[in-house]
Amino acid sequence: MRKFLKFFIPGFLLVVLVVTAGVAQITEKAEFGKFAITNATIHTVSDGVIENGVVLINGETIEFVGKNAKITSGYQRINAAGNHLYPGFMDAGTQLGLQEIGAVAVTKDQAELGEFNPHVRAFTAINPSSVSIPVTRVNGVTHVVSLPVSGRLSGKATLIDLYGYSPDSMAVSSNAALHLNWPTSRAGGRRSEDEVEKVYKKNLKELNEFWDRAVFYDDMMRSYEEGSADKKRPDTHKKLEAMREILGGNIPVMISVDHKRDILNAIEWTRKHPDVQFILAGVQEGWRVAEEIAEAGLPCLVSTLYTPERAYDNYQRPYQNPAKLHEAGVKVAIATGEIENVRNAPYHAGYAAAYGLGREEAVKAITLNAAEIFGIADRLGSIEKGKQANLFLSDGDPFEPTTHIEQVFIRGYKIPMVSRHSQLYEEYLNRGAVENEGH
Amino acid sequence: MKKIVLLFFALLLSLGGYAQEKGSVLITGGTVMTITDGNKENTDLLIEDGIITEIGRDLSAPGGVEIIDASGKYVMPGIIDAHSHIAAVDVNEWTHPVTAEVTMEESIDPNDINMYWALAGGVTSIHLMHGSANVIGGQNETLKLRYGGDMDALRFDGAPRTIKFALGENPTRVHGQRFNVQPRTRMGVEQVVRDHFDAALDYRRNRREYLEAREAYKEGAREEAPVPVAKNARMEVLVDILEGEIRVHCHSYRADEIMMLMRVFDDYDIEDYTFQHANEAFKIAPELRKNSAYTSVFSDWWAYKFEVYYSTAFNASILNASGVINSINSDSGELIRHLNHEAAKTVHYGDTSKQDALRMITINPAMQLGIDEKVGSIEEGKHGDVAIWSGHPLSIYSLAEATFVDGKKYFDRDEDADDMRLEVNPADDFEHADRRWYEEHGRRGGTCLRGAEIRFNEQEMQFRYQTN
Amino acid sequence: MAVSLPGWAQPAGAFENVIIHTADGEVIDGGTIVWRNGIIRSVGAEEEVAIPFDAYVRDGGDSLHVYPGFIDGMAFWGSPDDNGPGGTPDEPGNPGYERAGIQPQRYPSEHLKSNDQALEKAAEMGFTAAVLGLEGRMLPGQVDLFFVKGNQTPDNLLERGLGVLAQFSEARGSVYPSTTMALMAQFRQLFYDAKAQHQQQEYFASVSSNYPAPTNEKVLEALYPVMELEQPFFFVADSKENIERMLWLQEEFGFDVILVSGKEAYKTAEELRRRDIPVLAGIDLPEKPDWMSADGEENNENDEEGGEEKDRNTKQQEVTEEMQHFRERQQKAYEERINNIKSLRESGVRVGYGSNGLKISDIRKNLLVLKEEAGMMEPQLLNMLTQSTADILGYGQRLGDVKEGRLANFTVFDNPFTEEKAKGLFSVSNGEVTELESKTSN
Repeated sequence: MRKFLKFFIPGFLLVVLVVTAGVAQITEKAEFGKFAITNATIHTVSDGVIENGVVLINGETIEFVGKNAKITSGYQRINAAGNHLYPGFMDAGTQLGLQEIGAVAVTKDQAELGEFNPHVRAFTAINPSSVSIPVTRVNGVTHVVSLPVSGRLSGKATLIDLYGYSPDSMAVSSNAALHLNWPTSRAGGRRSEDEVEKVYKKNLKELNEFWDRAVFYDDMMRSYEEGSADKKRPDTHKKLEAMREILGGNIPVMISVDHKRDILNAIEWTRKHPDVQFILAGVQEGWRVAEEIAEAGLPCLVSTLYTPERAYDNYQRPYQNPAKLHEAGVKVAIATGEIENVRNAPYHAGYAAAYGLGREEAVKAITLNAAEIFGIADRLGSIEKGKQANLFLSDGDPFEPTTHIEQVFIRGYKIPMVSRHSQLYEEYLNRGAVENEGH
Repeated sequence: MKKIVLLFFALLLSLGGYAQEKGSVLITGGTVMTITDGNKENTDLLIEDGIITEIGRDLSAPGGVEIIDASGKYVMPGIIDAHSHIAAVDVNEWTHPVTAEVTMEESIDPNDINMYWALAGGVTSIHLMHGSANVIGGQNETLKLRYGGDMDALRFDGAPRTIKFALGENPTRVHGQRFNVQPRTRMGVEQVVRDHFDAALDYRRNRREYLEAREAYKEGAREEAPVPVAKNARMEVLVDILEGEIRVHCHSYRADEIMMLMRVFDDYDIEDYTFQHANEAFKIAPELRKNSAYTSVFSDWWAYKFEVYYSTAFNASILNASGVINSINSDSGELIRHLNHEAAKTVHYGDTSKQDALRMITINPAMQLGIDEKVGSIEEGKHGDVAIWSGHPLSIYSLAEATFVDGKKYFDRDEDADDMRLEVNPADDFEHADRRWYEEHGRRGGTCLRGAEIRFNEQEMQFRYQTN
Repeated sequence: MAVSLPGWAQPAGAFENVIIHTADGEVIDGGTIVWRNGIIRSVGAEEEVAIPFDAYVRDGGDSLHVYPGFIDGMAFWGSPDDNGPGGTPDEPGNPGYERAGIQPQRYPSEHLKSNDQALEKAAEMGFTAAVLGLEGRMLPGQVDLFFVKGNQTPDNLLERGLGVLAQFSEARGSVYPSTTMALMAQFRQLFYDAKAQHQQQEYFASVSSNYPAPTNEKVLEALYPVMELEQPFFFVADSKENIERMLWLQEEFGFDVILVSGKEAYKTAEELRRRDIPVLAGIDLPEKPDWMSADGEENNENDEEGGEEKDRNTKQQEVTEEMQHFRERQQKAYEERINNIKSLRESGVRVGYGSNGLKISDIRKNLLVLKEEAGMMEPQLLNMLTQSTADILGYGQRLGDVKEGRLANFTVFDNPFTEEKAKGLFSVSNGEVTELESKTSN
């Protein structure tokens, strides 16, 4: 959208940017070890709410969740009386870490050239030092799926947590999904319906051709791998090689699709690939075809803070979309599509809650559901013994914009509750009187 | 259902052409959030012929006046958005660094559905602003969301004139970088402002002298025929700024450029100005306070361009704590739908009190637009621009249930129909829709630079993108 | 005419045994029409009209139809394309008049191309006179009235500078004015500057020395007649809001104005009538939504062209409640739009015809829509295309009807002109006959 801006960014500005980028880094270190959180209202997500509960963290892991625990002296105690404890929130669709400044093209790594790029990986380009990362996590969002966005097959999205010094240490699933921008058949802009139809058919044909080639490649390679020694090894093709884990059903395809007719087309298409896992993302008109999505058994990644798709849509539809999908039996998770403001993910969930989904389901949609959709619910998504310690304490309902997040844990690390934003606050609040004026 | 739709339409359509209809209503038993005089529980609010006439207990409705039971609910002044571009035909006359002569008053789109969606978020007035591609842009227009009315009916009668200025990346990018026309730098931006103010002062003198000489010549009191000085639309507006008849709302981000403009304004005795966006205003809160400058900021937008990289969501709280009159604005057709929650974020970021948070979307923007005598709080004698909320408006679970402008209901959740378009183009496609979900956020459309951005996209810029 | 004899004009001409349709709806079967020196001398039933001895007579065989020549109140036939200087000027904010599309000093008569096919086609469609303008932007030029005579049209100027064409049309590319609001400001500034220049010219003329010479900017001078109400603006505006903006300008500067095109003029009919602003209405009607032609609920009789669409549509989608509602509103909007002219007439607004760029080949299609869907009778359509347009142009006594004393402008058709198969056979413009069929067949 704002790609064109790169033309305007002069070189010297970039130099300034590079030189100063380190200034506002975090100085306080995260703590790691044993923590005992006591007197909290624990929202386990998987097993109800525990009042005045205790959670013990040992290293990366949640060691205990319950009411009465013996806390030995090795634990750093955190008295959370009056506070609520939630599993870390997960935003299942963002570009966090892939872009630093929207209008500065050289800081944007989410859009590789080319239509079919299953081999490019968001994981590779995640910048662990992105200023947006601390800004996000201190709001209770501990995990994000970050996705490449250009072309038809944009590349592999990555699922990371928001603490670490390298992509490797942050990655939960370095290849979390393959992002497919579904070719649209909807009218839009000034194109006539016939033109749209023509372009759609062409795009779909290209997609199918690529896909068929990938299937052929996979079959061929498997035949070679299973076969006898006299077979000559076929040449490797990076793009097709990258499709093999998709075709094998190990990694899902995340299909970005919003419009009703596109959703139906996409569903039909997924039926032709029964061995592949699919997730729908965006799905802004999901409410129009909720039954069909449910029937197809496809989970949906959705947000709420956008304007209605069509001018004649009811104003509430974006807010109600998650609820309508859920009512039809679709598993929904929150995905904001945001970058520097992924921190608003809780409010997307809050709107879903307020407009029909209810609080309990909305909390799931931003925790456990996302973990289940990406196949990591054994480790993440709820406060359970044995799971990874991704948690946060808040002084109230985290969906309320007036609530404060008091403490965040990621992978057992007690995260310093600072960010560029809070540092600037500390520095400039009560800065002092007007300085002497001199001309 | 359909009947309701049609009825509602008949109602809306009947408004067309009739300017600024007013209504009466008695809203009983709610928590009245006066903003200027605290919250009053179990209180009735009487609006008669568009004006709040009584706030108190056990009020009775004059004959024929509708009574709405708001017990258990909150009654809040209509939200005022000090920075909006909805309901606009064009947003930016971006071709010249100074386009003071154009006015959004003449660029209103009275059929924009976004107005209805904003009403559904409790908004009753917007400051329809010109874009930010010019150092001195066009004049803005303050509107009331009398959805269904024509261009005239939407005007906020008696609102002072305002004009858009813009500093920093946008004007230097558009003019300096793209057109090779000053300003290319923040140094140049200052001089564009000063040059034009000086030219306006010269124009005022020359034009007055000419008009006097013309009269004198006509009456024979002067022998020499005067040389005409043509009336100049641009200069007239600049003169009005210098004479204090137009308030400046300046798009700005960096602290240094804000300081620059305050120095310039000081030199030309310009007062009553507001810095819009002002992401770095927090750095110079004491200076803003000293100059009685207003600020109108985003709750949390940042990092979309270089000049907002070193900004903080705590901006509003710092400004508020420093005594700067600040408002939270939308600049977006999406954010305007939940400005109450945008304001609530000031509690989250920096512990602004809930009362002050509410002021930032009611009385504070009203002050910045010069309409605080009329709207922005619930007081007897003020306009009946109010919304009824199901709960405390800063809660994410609260919904606007009804929104009134001048005592007339323009949004009612119970009667809310699906298709609220005013204008139907027979060529519209039933399935028409654009965008990808991850490109969705308000900032990526409908914002300050919209006029310019649309053109950049559609014309040469695409080419430039490809060749860079 | 099959044979042309240069240098010799027939003293008089006549059609007999023709069906004559007058602008006020009268139909004369077996009629005769006689003209001499470009003026209609007599019109009437056979027995009432004497054909002079020196008249060249054509026989209509009781089946040909004579209609008053249609008048296009605002056409761009023969105009060079609007492809003046493009690119980005040194200062996009100060592009100069020409680059900004401000050229009110231009006269079509000095720029028209005679080889524009539209000029031929216009005659075939029944047009014998037209106000022609130049393609352009905000102020593309003056408008001139011509007799329509195929490629001879540019040499058949009837009146130069009937008015000044104006429209809310931004400058091309990245140039001021690029928005509607800047167009408004630009209109004002032009008036201010014209006024000042005019004043200085007057002062200069009134003294003999000791006074600086004024500029003599032709662009500004071309606006004096508008300011002094000697010339109207031919103002193109379609949306209700743009028409209202035009009205704001009129209120401010008090010029005379004729509204051109006016697709949504019906929404401001009351005010147009109050200000006595006539409309040269366009008939570029919206496309009928596919489903309306396909469905056939209301329009069974018109199913021929919709047939193909029908298959595709019904296959594609069932009609949901939501879609039904959408369609109801779409249909209402469609009907409002095609009823524009009818509504205007009913509100007492004077309505003539101005094609404003509509392709000639689309005229009949749209006339048919007006007749069959908007319920306008053929005589009403005829009146709009002839007398009513002539009245608006100030030519009500010379053009617009087949009556004694009028200029001999009429067309002979083989069928009533609203019928799809109707074909113009002879075009008579300013008394000169053009036989159309021979031209179309090559």
